[in-house]
Amino acid sequence: MAGIEKVPSSRSGAHTVIGSSIVIDGEISGDEDLVIQGTVKGRISLRESLFVEGSGVIEADIETANVDVSGQVTGNIAATDKVELKADCKVVGDIRAPRILIADGAVFKGNVDMDVKEVKGK
Amino acid sequence: MTVTTTDGTTIIGESILISGSLNGDEDLTVRGRVEGTLTLTKTLVVEPTGVVKAEVQVKNCVIAGAIVGNVTATESVEITKEGRMVGDIAAPRVIIVDGASFRGRIDMGEVNVDAGRGNVRAVQAPARPSLRPALSRPAARPAEAKKADEKTVVASAPRPPAPPAPVAMGAVKRKVIVKRK
Repeated sequence: MAGIEKVPSSRSGAHTVIGSSIVIDGEISGDEDLVIQGTVKGRISLRESLFVEGSGVIEADIETANVDVSGQVTGNIAATDKVELKADCKVVGDIRAPRILIADGAVFKGNVDMDVKEVKGK
Repeated sequence: MTVTTTDGTTIIGESILISGSLNGDEDLTVRGRVEGTLTLTKTLVVEPTGVVKAEVQVKNCVIAGAIVGNVTATESVEITKEGRMVGDIAAPRVIIVDGASFRGRIDMGEVNVDAGRGNVRAVQAPARPSLRPALSRPAARPAEAKKADEKTVVASAPRPPAPPAPVAMGAVKRKVIVKRK
């Protein structure tokens, strides 16, 4: 399937996967990589990487080390390392991270803040 | 404990905490913590490291970890030997394995009392005749119970025909010891 082909090898080691038919309304926190193929509303707080796949829909504020978006995100993103918006993603919200990558084809509306000190300070 | 990231399976990793409501139409494996409400149309598996503090509504539920809260399943609930649960279970099939710990009520749905009585009779009926074939056992039982009989009633000791001679010999020796005492 196309969805599997898109998955980089780095994600295969992820222990947590929120499947495409899953809807979570609330808060997710943890210390490991998180792959989201379903829907999450509320808040996501991780110390590792968040992968929002093509089928993933997020209406939440996100705090992580890395964010990798191929799906839809509505909410503010704060990453301590990197935010990457892939070609087919849709993101509405503010992004704050020392490194922000926006690929050709990505749809984004919001503010970008790459002020490293402020991010690390918080 | 296979780690599958294919579609149709959701895994909540060990360090993950989800609080709120979780709904879905696919299998869910919990190795971390889930608090709030959990509603699935398929199977919930709580692995040994998993902790669920939630109102759970699923089709099937396999508990090898811990659940605190009520579980309603349309098919079955199974608590494995490693499973711990506090709360009420409502499911047509409930399996609790030896070693599992559980506190709460179980509701397996409507119990047809008439059918239940019929079953009890049906069970008892064959049970009684089975006592007759079991008559062969008494022949064996005295042999096994010889020691007790001989200790209590010494005179009865010679009665058994004692097909197993060694046992009788042992019994005689014991008798002698008892007399010496």
